[in-house]
Amino acid sequence: MYHAIKERVTELLSTGEVKGFLALKKDNGHIKPHLYVSPDEIDQLSIGDGETAGDARYPLTKILTMLLQNHSGEPFGILARGCDQRALRALAAWNQISLEQVVVIGVACSEELARACNCGLPYPDEWLEGEQIEPKDPRPVEWEAKSPLQRLDLWRAEFEKCIKCYGCRNICPMCFCKECSLESEDVVTKGEIPPDLPMFHLVRALHMIGRCVDCGLCEEACPASIPLRALYKKVNDIVETRFQFRAGIEQTEQSPLHKIAEPPAAI
Amino acid sequence: MTAQRVAVLRDLLEFVGIEGERLNLVWVSSAEGPRFANEMTEFTEKIRSLGPLNWNYQWAVPDSELRAANPSK
Repeated sequence: MYHAIKERVTELLSTGEVKGFLALKKDNGHIKPHLYVSPDEIDQLSIGDGETAGDARYPLTKILTMLLQNHSGEPFGILARGCDQRALRALAAWNQISLEQVVVIGVACSEELARACNCGLPYPDEWLEGEQIEPKDPRPVEWEAKSPLQRLDLWRAEFEKCIKCYGCRNICPMCFCKECSLESEDVVTKGEIPPDLPMFHLVRALHMIGRCVDCGLCEEACPASIPLRALYKKVNDIVETRFQFRAGIEQTEQSPLHKIAEPPAAI
Repeated sequence: MTAQRVAVLRDLLEFVGIEGERLNLVWVSSAEGPRFANEMTEFTEKIRSLGPLNWNYQWAVPDSELRAANPSK
């Protein structure tokens, strides 16, 4: 399977066009991230199909950020879905990585995965495997249909499940800050579970303005199954409605909220 | 920027079911004491008229009561 990708990666590695290729590897029945440095192991390359299509996903872009920061100027390749491509662009816009040395090999998601992810853009710019699936509505419509009182009850119930594992932050490709507000004792009381409601989650949501690329890894990582994605989808929706901006769509654009040049509009 | 961020936060608060009016942003200089007092009084009054958050109290059972109800756990 994935012959086109394997061939292309073999070519990249054997010609030395890239120093390493970051993708997934199926090893003893488990799928894990792997940096391919020679074409020998390429047979084990996986695009993340475990039991169902694309059910094994990892923040490859986050790993690439670390790689590039330690090996600056060296060329690397990466396997990217639509969400990964958006993350790469957003990271470049935030000056975390430089895309000049990155070779992106795209995979378009299957209908099944696009539906499971409720993905607003399930394909990258160019892809070697998969087909173009119709994007889904990127707004949290099922939440917006509820009354404010219902939402308050439901969100409180959801936020109360939080065990403050920081999994959502740790897996997020866009959480690259060296210092995190969620570790500041001014915002989050130390040693208390659940964390301050609804501060903890709203602080994170607010920091996702102009950053969240809607990859959904936070929700997948959450051991308490908090529907975090609905929250960040709403953030994206607000930013798009108010400022006509969506993170990771334009190569070099930071969100209008992070530009200093423009005078602020009236509230 | 702050004005825009606060606008986004207000929308977000509405989304989680908290009234947007509970968030207020005003600029008051240190030379405007009476204005500061005024703004504060007005805002306090507004919050008072909104009353406490409409939490559903069935989620707010203290741990001690839960333990008393389920001694085995």
